[in-house]
Amino acid sequence: MTTGTDRFAPGDRVRTRSLDPAGHTRLPRYARGAVGVIVEPAGSHPLADDRARGRVGSAQTVYHVRFAAADLFGAGDHTVTVELWEDYLTPVEEDAP
Amino acid sequence: MARINDVGGMAGFPPIVEEPDEPRFHSDWEAHVFALNGALIRRGVYNLDEFRDAQERLPVQRYLAASYYERWFAAITTLLEEKGVATAEELAAPDDHGH
Amino acid sequence: MSGDHSSSVISAHVRQVEALLEQRGLLDDGEIDRRIDEFAAGGTPANGARVVARAWVDPGFAERLLADANAALGEVGLSMSGGLQEQRLKVVANSATEHHVVVCTLCSCYPIALLGPSPSWYKSEAYRSRVVRDPRGVLREFGVELPAETRLSVWDASAESRYMVLPRRPEGTDALSEAQLAGRVTRKGLIGTALV
Repeated sequence: MTTGTDRFAPGDRVRTRSLDPAGHTRLPRYARGAVGVIVEPAGSHPLADDRARGRVGSAQTVYHVRFAAADLFGAGDHTVTVELWEDYLTPVEEDAP
Repeated sequence: MARINDVGGMAGFPPIVEEPDEPRFHSDWEAHVFALNGALIRRGVYNLDEFRDAQERLPVQRYLAASYYERWFAAITTLLEEKGVATAEELAAPDDHGH
Repeated sequence: MSGDHSSSVISAHVRQVEALLEQRGLLDDGEIDRRIDEFAAGGTPANGARVVARAWVDPGFAERLLADANAALGEVGLSMSGGLQEQRLKVVANSATEHHVVVCTLCSCYPIALLGPSPSWYKSEAYRSRVVRDPRGVLREFGVELPAETRLSVWDASAESRYMVLPRRPEGTDALSEAQLAGRVTRKGLIGTALV
């Protein structure tokens, strides 16, 4: 269980969840299983997935996470910034030098 | 499961069409649907995420054939039935009666 | 759009559901009309334009707007609390090297308080599907051709924040008043699908 209290800081690399949940979610398909960088925290809210199922979880931090288009689509020189709940994210350990 | 609303990155949709001087609503009923949804959410009949979820669960072909506010209205009637506010028969379109 | 017949069918259907909800005590008499009037009196792109013009003439305001847009809105008498709940606003500034564009790929999230109701193209699958993948191509569809070296940054309003673009101030506008500058700002400029 995540605590939802600023687990990540700007600049942290994170990987998004790749599983395809059975119901409503706010992690777009194109941004699943991808590595991005935390831009900034953007408030704290109960997980939309839970609210859509009539459950009210505790609030957790929501972050702006920036992805390189090439990492999402295999092409493109732009970035896409997606707003994601902490539950969707796991830390990416930096590779050893 | 990935749902029909989740279109980011998908291929195959038509060119983008701009409507010059587009009105807020294209017909009076659209404004009514907009206001109805706000009223029901404020009363706590359902929440905004349940409303989005109900649109996403529409049968795919119906979803794609529907206009923006037709999707809204379909979601509203779905939720009113599921929340036990009214029966499917009470919520059926006028044309459906007697069929 | 639906034809006249299907429009009158759905119109009757909506009224039937409204009447049912009034019977059940879930809708007050006249509530729908009141809400429609309130909405009509609410957000318009002129609000966003006013914020942009202030940012153009007042660098301190621009700085505060980019750091904490909700607080800065208060300085010009606006807020993001007119809807179902107060929403966080994030303003992103175009520059000589970077251009921003806003979308909601999952539904149609949009800062109504500052931009008014969203246009149909913003809600279309066509825009939502393509702009995250090929923003340069989508901007070209809108007639916006950016230099190849301009970085493109797409913002997908997938959660609770709403986004507004702060366009670049056009050249040759030094003599214009703040109100005249606001008159130059378009809704598409605030979404990022047009330059100002």
